[in-house]
Amino acid sequence: MIRSTFYSLRKLLLVSGVILASGNSRAEEAAALNIVTVNYPLKFFAESITKGSATVNLPMPVDIDPAFWSPKADDVSALQKADVVLLNGANYAKWLPKVSLSLFKMVNTSSQFSDQFIPIESAMKHNHGVGGEHSHTGNAFTTWLDFSLAEQQATAIFKALSKKTPNLSASYVTNFIPLQESLLAIDAELTQIGSSLKGKPLLGSHPVYQYLKKRYQLNLQSVHWEPEDAPSKEQWETLKKILKKHPAKWMLWEGKPAPETVTKLEALGVKSIVFTPCANKPEKGDFLSVMKMNTENLKAIVNEK
Amino acid sequence: MIDSLYLAWRYIVFNRKKTITLITCISLITFLPFALKALLSESEHQLMSRAATTPLLVGAKGNSLDLVMNSLYFSKEEPDFITMKSADEIIDSGLALPIPLYTRFQAREYPIVGTSLDYFEFRHYKIEQGRAFAMLGECLIGADVASKLNLSIGDSILSSPENLFDLAGIYPLKMVITGVLEKTNSADDKAVFVDLKTAWVIQGLGHGHQDVKKMEEAGAIVNQSKNLVTASSKVKQYTEINTDNLESFHFHGDPSIYPLTAIITIPQDDKSATILRGRYLSDQQDQQIVRPKEVIEDLLGNIFRIKDFIDGVVLVVAIAMILAVMLVFSLSLRLRQKEINTIFHLGCSRATVVQLIAAEILIIVLASGILCYLSLLVLQHYQENIVHTLFIS
Amino acid sequence: MINIDSLSFSYGRDGFQLSIPQLTINETEKIAIIGPSGSGKTSLLKLISGILLPQKGSISINNVIINQFSDAERRDYRISNVGFIFQDFELLEYLDTQDNILHPYRITRALTLNPEVRTRANNLAKEMGIQSKMKSLTNTLSQGEKQRTAICRAMLPKPKLILADEATGNLDPNNKTRILDALFRSTDKQKATLIAVTHDHELLGRFDRVIDFKDYCLLDAA
Repeated sequence: MIRSTFYSLRKLLLVSGVILASGNSRAEEAAALNIVTVNYPLKFFAESITKGSATVNLPMPVDIDPAFWSPKADDVSALQKADVVLLNGANYAKWLPKVSLSLFKMVNTSSQFSDQFIPIESAMKHNHGVGGEHSHTGNAFTTWLDFSLAEQQATAIFKALSKKTPNLSASYVTNFIPLQESLLAIDAELTQIGSSLKGKPLLGSHPVYQYLKKRYQLNLQSVHWEPEDAPSKEQWETLKKILKKHPAKWMLWEGKPAPETVTKLEALGVKSIVFTPCANKPEKGDFLSVMKMNTENLKAIVNEK
Repeated sequence: MIDSLYLAWRYIVFNRKKTITLITCISLITFLPFALKALLSESEHQLMSRAATTPLLVGAKGNSLDLVMNSLYFSKEEPDFITMKSADEIIDSGLALPIPLYTRFQAREYPIVGTSLDYFEFRHYKIEQGRAFAMLGECLIGADVASKLNLSIGDSILSSPENLFDLAGIYPLKMVITGVLEKTNSADDKAVFVDLKTAWVIQGLGHGHQDVKKMEEAGAIVNQSKNLVTASSKVKQYTEINTDNLESFHFHGDPSIYPLTAIITIPQDDKSATILRGRYLSDQQDQQIVRPKEVIEDLLGNIFRIKDFIDGVVLVVAIAMILAVMLVFSLSLRLRQKEINTIFHLGCSRATVVQLIAAEILIIVLASGILCYLSLLVLQHYQENIVHTLFIS
Repeated sequence: MINIDSLSFSYGRDGFQLSIPQLTINETEKIAIIGPSGSGKTSLLKLISGILLPQKGSISINNVIINQFSDAERRDYRISNVGFIFQDFELLEYLDTQDNILHPYRITRALTLNPEVRTRANNLAKEMGIQSKMKSLTNTLSQGEKQRTAICRAMLPKPKLILADEATGNLDPNNKTRILDALFRSTDKQKATLIAVTHDHELLGRFDRVIDFKDYCLLDAA
């Protein structure tokens, strides 16, 4: 199985904290940690745990999907100055193998559950030059949409930061417990919704719901649509073919879809709801409020008579 | 006395060939033990300072000296490879932090050291100019590489093929220089540092190429089945990484089996070090963990034994030399008997003659001393390179 | 005044013996010593200069018996009072002409090398016709030039007694006259006594007195 991160540093969080903390002077411990994350959920978790005692940065602009961000050398130089770099793992952030970051500072938040990663098998294999037959495949990476995994990621962050700044660990505990409870509550609620849906066929506008689907047993099939773009004729045809075998009445959207698309979908008997992965910072609210909104939106399907 | 010195000087100038020979011999015999001592203390310094600051080293089982020399001084003795998995295991153990090293390739005779950024922090290095490598294909060069090859930020350096007939397809990679390290007076001055992943790209484990699917029109596709495309050599493989093609670079296979030559291992504490060392003791282990300090102490022990022997030889030669010099002076006194008689005849005492000879000896000894000192200064200037060539390269 | 009384000297091995019952040389007198080779002419000069010591008899200068001096006293006496022109010049090959002339000043504290001495050395060299050779090493000089250098060296400390061992021996007739003129001039100027060993019988007329050594040299009867 392909390793979770390029560096495969699965237990770095356990070690790096101890060593870096032991090597640091009190003065350094007193300085606010500079934390960088690769996506918004991790930033939210880190902010919730540190509550202002550290600066937490998400380096890419808000209108970019962090998974597909391409940092420039200057961006990387800034990343290199961070004290902690929180990684999502599961091949998230395609830019990571192309940049140089300190091994000691990186914390892979998903290393504990790498056996639960969902591989993507669809990519074309090819063969040329050195290296033999290969394909550019990987894992599905929106791990946090399985809230039990999100909780594990938050726990990993909590542990890493506690090791890194042991003097603040008491306040981290205080801050972490409500976050953990909230994530587990969403997990429980989604589990409930999943069982209530009883395998009702659903559509996903984009293949980002693999972990959501698996954890909450959704009968979901995804297309490759973008919320803001009008689907092409071919895409409509593909959908119609899918609907014949998979008579879904609801489509989950990453973002708010264009009204024309919504109308056309309704003509096919498919209603639209938003279930955003919230990979980047939302315009309104925070991770929890967005996820609560997502949950509420899903409930609409359950409540449908 | 000044007149005696003047006369002695005139004599020496007149007999310049004899004097030069004498001065050379005396300087040489004085220089030798000092030079030997300086070279040994420089090698001890070079070898030991680095070994002492590198707590543990993990590498393939085999010659521990080769492992240490390759990892600490980037010598050309290449140990067997271990894999990134070994670094994972060190992390998994929770006992230490690893700094992986991959020192297989060269760029214009200088070793390319694939490592992580932590290496520089670990060695407490500052970057004199520019910045550390940040992107794939970038490199940070040692101070000597910069000065000897007259390279600076923005220039590039090409990795060398492993051998002249390297037809296996390991493409030379053009690496952009993003920074120059401060002078460290160590092997790092003569190294080209890249991220591990860049080293793997040099090896061909990672590469960038044109989109295979898009090459279909160009006739680059040899065979295409449902999920396998075989492309011809028309697919352009990039030999330098830039902002335009960075996206196309990718790695194949499981990174945990990617090769390393060694791992600098920084244990949490002595206890962790002991536990960790215990794990490599088993016969089944194909890896070894060594304390570079111990390995280098062993090496220096051998060198110092040789030094003791050479010291003995030098002592014997020195005694022979002193006897020869005394003979030269006594013969010279005989040859100068007529001159000495003249001096007596003019009205001088034996003491004047002694003074003249003493002045001559003084000048010769002083000149030898100065020559020896200057030679030692020259040696001092080059000793770093000499030691590097003798013990490391 | 030099007074030699009952002097007997031998080298001890080769049967040579010099015996001078009585010889007086007055101040400012110019004496030529002639005699066959090996008759003891050079030995006499060395005895008078204190280089050699007689086995018997005495040599007194101004009523001071020099052969009773200690080694140091004889050296002082020699360096301060005697200008010796050696038969084989005894120049140092590693010094140039100027340094050879100045040599006595460099090897003893009894003489002080100062600018006045240097000027005098230059004048002497000029007088002897070797001023252009002052910076030449002696091995590049002709025999005559070497001789003149040796004379300059002997004359420079203004000695009261000049002992010349074949001072004109290696010179052509013109030079002989010139050198002898210079030697006599210097001797006169310094009111010195000159004792010159010579084989040049044509020059003998210029000396106050000629001593023929065949009268003094006695071959050991034994």
